[in-house]
Amino acid sequence: MIDFTMVAQIFWTGTATSSYYVLFTIAFALVLKVVGLWNFAQAGFMGIAFYAMFFAFNVLHIPVWAGLAFGFAFTIFFTGLVEVLCLRTLRKRRSSSLTFFIFTLILSEFIAYLLMLFFGTEPVTLFPSILSPVRIVADIAVSDWDLVALSSTGALSLALWVFLRFHREGQFLTAVADNGPLAELYGISAKRAYLVAMTIASVFVCAGMYLFGTRAGVIPTTPLELMLFAVIATLLGGIGRIFSAALAAIVIGLVQSFSILVIASAWQNLVLYGFLFFTILVFPRGFRLPGLRRVRGADLAPKPTAESA
Amino acid sequence: MDAGFIRRSLRRAGYGVILAGTMLAATSALAQDSGPLRFGLAMPLSGSQALYGNDQVKGALWGVEDINKKGGVAGRKLEMIVLDTQADTQLGINAVNRLISVEKVPIVLTSWSNVVKAVAPIANREKVLVISATANSPEIAHLGDYVYTAFPLADVDIAAVAKYAYKTLGKRTAAVLYVNNESGIEGAKVYRSAFEKEGGKIAIFEAYDLKSTDYTGMLLKLKNANPDMVHIQGLVADLPQVIAQMRQLGLQQRISTYAVGYNVKIIEQLGKAAEGLIVTSLAPGAKDNPRVAEYVERWKKEMGRVPNGLPYTQYLYDEPYIIAAVFEWAIKQKLPLTGENMRKGLLAIKNFNLPMTGMLSVGEDHRVHKPVYLLTVQDGVFVPLATVD
Repeated sequence: MIDFTMVAQIFWTGTATSSYYVLFTIAFALVLKVVGLWNFAQAGFMGIAFYAMFFAFNVLHIPVWAGLAFGFAFTIFFTGLVEVLCLRTLRKRRSSSLTFFIFTLILSEFIAYLLMLFFGTEPVTLFPSILSPVRIVADIAVSDWDLVALSSTGALSLALWVFLRFHREGQFLTAVADNGPLAELYGISAKRAYLVAMTIASVFVCAGMYLFGTRAGVIPTTPLELMLFAVIATLLGGIGRIFSAALAAIVIGLVQSFSILVIASAWQNLVLYGFLFFTILVFPRGFRLPGLRRVRGADLAPKPTAESA
Repeated sequence: MDAGFIRRSLRRAGYGVILAGTMLAATSALAQDSGPLRFGLAMPLSGSQALYGNDQVKGALWGVEDINKKGGVAGRKLEMIVLDTQADTQLGINAVNRLISVEKVPIVLTSWSNVVKAVAPIANREKVLVISATANSPEIAHLGDYVYTAFPLADVDIAAVAKYAYKTLGKRTAAVLYVNNESGIEGAKVYRSAFEKEGGKIAIFEAYDLKSTDYTGMLLKLKNANPDMVHIQGLVADLPQVIAQMRQLGLQQRISTYAVGYNVKIIEQLGKAAEGLIVTSLAPGAKDNPRVAEYVERWKKEMGRVPNGLPYTQYLYDEPYIIAAVFEWAIKQKLPLTGENMRKGLLAIKNFNLPMTGMLSVGEDHRVHKPVYLLTVQDGVFVPLATVD
């Protein structure tokens, strides 16, 4: 029997577990918007992020804050290396989109195999225990993990929004995303913008893998499976619309969670593929709410009257 | 050059071919008569099941080493060829095909129910004996003439834990949660059937996807159903997550699972949430067999830890002894070392007294029967709970 408590619990836990998908989606959508790259190498970066933190916590035995810093630093460094050494080279050669796509996909697979070599294929979590303290709030189980996931995702998303909206560097990213050559004419370095976008993406990726890795076991090929969610959410949110993609990630996560009420849990993952199919066919440019459009500055300016003309 | 010369040349060439062929055949026969006795082992060495797969391979390797230290089989070394299946159906088929076609082994040991089922047609077609090492799907008993199991199937230990829950623990309703693959589906059906046969009621029978990480919806359904007992037929990767999320949602029912749960890592990951967990073991513990204590000490000494899935590794240690006995039988009978003769040997010997797991009887019904040892987690360690014969 379905009751309010059940619905509320599914909503709460579904939203909390969507948090890492939101982070992966934002990273993917940001790179797609600014760099114009379908960055399937993100799965490789996710693997690097997880195993760097795993190494820090389980081999170096350093405190959580230091391990996180280590993970962030390592991932940012690796991502920067790929951008500078690989992607710039492909751009200089004016490589086609297909070449970029194949390169990023192969890079992810290569990283997965390297990680298998070094860390094996046993499912591991960042910490030995996967349990976190739970409290009951209005009949709903709220765990510390849920709170950390939601607050960190919210904080990072807000920080990115503020950065893109108000910070000079963030505005440069938007400019390059809108029109790269024109931005360059105004003295904005597209190369720098790409590097900044990739750096921000690696921060989100590392945060997402921390959340995932404290809850579920990871093997080197796990990130490749998680990527599908980010791709679907990006498509559904609309290419170039980072926060719509993030919202789409939450919606898909909740739909997947609530689907248990109508289908057997064994088929929950089928919902993902159903969404992908539906999105590509019906909303190839993403889903837009009817009646909402961006208001341009020109629209707000007073219209000339016959006397003023 | 006259016709006579040509005829003489052809005759000489013919003699040369016959001589070369005879020497080649003799060399091969000599190699077969004196070379190592080879068999294949196809197990997950990588992938999500490698945690158990690698330790099982280690157990088998030690079995082979110990047999060879004692002089081998009829003076010949036993040699094991190991290939990776990742517990994946297609990779399992590739591995077994290679073992049969390239390595030419007459016996293959393999595990994971989906792999055993996938390679069964190859075994029957090529007449190579495939022995299921630790897979437990009841369907394994019906996979053809050349597929046998050296491990009791799910209808032995899972039925035992279901009966125990009803008869001894007095549970009248149970929930069955299972991973949506061969290992999960068949085992879940066995539990349901056994529990209902005793008079119990299955409150909820729910599958989850192998790649799921959030089980909230399924667990809330379970909460609504409010069963007395929960049986989880999962795998080593997902089992701790299901239990953790169950406890975090406030579900405190006693949980049972099968031998996959008999792993100290689960206690590490779950802490107090693992208390009361009932697991099965189809192999005797150290108290029942002193050799097991020595075996565990060997693990601690050489690997620095106890094996993951100790009972499974005990079976893998013993299975080379079965293979050695079958080879010895065929050599004594002066029969070629083919899969057909290996199968004949297995059925002719029938009863094997094995060092780690005790007496094993291989039936014509392709099953083996063993007592089931039930253990539970108490104060952070596995302790014996009951033995069900």
